[in-house]
Amino acid sequence: MRTLRIWAILQGLFIVPAFAQEGGATYDLGINGLSCPFCSYGIEKEISRIEGVEKITVDIAKAVVRVRMRGGKTLTEAVAKKAAKDAGFTLRSFARASPK
Amino acid sequence: MGLSRPLFMVLLAAALLWPHRAPAGPISFNSALTLSSGEFVFREQGVLSQSGDDPSGADRDRRSIASLSVLGYGIDEDISVFAVLPYLDNRLDVTTGGERRTRETSGIGDVRLFGRHVVVRKNWPARAFRLSLFAGIETPTGEDDGSDRFGRLPASVQLGSGSWDPFGGVVATYQTLDFQIDGQLSYQANTEANSFAFGDVARADASFQYRLWPRTFSGGVPNFLYGVLEANLIHQGKNHDHGADDGNSGGLSLFLTPGLQLVGRRWIFEAAVQLPVVQDLNGTALESDYVVRAGFRVNF
Repeated sequence: MRTLRIWAILQGLFIVPAFAQEGGATYDLGINGLSCPFCSYGIEKEISRIEGVEKITVDIAKAVVRVRMRGGKTLTEAVAKKAAKDAGFTLRSFARASPK
Repeated sequence: MGLSRPLFMVLLAAALLWPHRAPAGPISFNSALTLSSGEFVFREQGVLSQSGDDPSGADRDRRSIASLSVLGYGIDEDISVFAVLPYLDNRLDVTTGGERRTRETSGIGDVRLFGRHVVVRKNWPARAFRLSLFAGIETPTGEDDGSDRFGRLPASVQLGSGSWDPFGGVVATYQTLDFQIDGQLSYQANTEANSFAFGDVARADASFQYRLWPRTFSGGVPNFLYGVLEANLIHQGKNHDHGADDGNSGGLSLFLTPGLQLVGRRWIFEAAVQLPVVQDLNGTALESDYVVRAGFRVNF
């Protein structure tokens, strides 16, 4: 019984954090003005400064930037709008995306 | 020697009047798409200027190799500042009194400092328009009183003008995923130093960049290969030497500039050749043969 309890605790140390990482919110930001590869670094840099951002994926053909946050962190439209503005672009749309 | 100065200085001014970061953007001048707030861009461009069409009979042949280092910084999304540091290697071969002479020197040229402000910004899905104003000063950091065994070097070989020369202009850019168009109007007032002043330079530049590859794409940020065609219309006034106009200086030049750019997220490699199609220079001013440019940019 004691062994089983220890085993359960050890499992929890690994499983719970894993679930926490996979639970990070993902957002799709429609960005107006993004029209060349060299431009994309600017928006990536601005978004990467936002606390809690884990991954940024730019789709230049669709002019969409997908932002995945670390577990427990969220992104607000106001913060996203400012990041786009600081990069010289305009936030066209903001939506919570279904995580893949 | 005022005869060969003007076109050389025009070309040098043309080579130096750039900077400003552009996603893709022109090669022989630069467009107005801005740096992001807090972003840096570094550009290094080699420029080879060859001028050997000499109507004076002195069989002048001038070659200048310049390495232009540019650093730009986005203060915010609208305002950027730039510094252009040229390193020059100038050479003039000329026949004087039946003797063939080579006059040459190398070193730091005149540093240019300027700022740019976006005044109109329009963003659409996969399209953008910018209109910006820029202004700056060319500083007398290059040596303007160099000499060799023949005496003081002619102004066309000197590394600097010796004068503080303000400049400014307006630039507009329209960009889509398929192409980009840039247009620029600028003016540089060349002031006097050592009783000499180069003629002021007014120029109009245009650039068209067309995405050659990939022809179609979806997802991610692929690298782009652009074909580039630019035009540079440059007018320089006559030089003033000890209060008198130099009739063998200044004039109008038009260059057509084909080139290529390979553009990634963090870097751009580019090359172009400026070919003179019109040269209506005053008197016996030395005419340009060609200007070759090649370089890269990185952002960080």
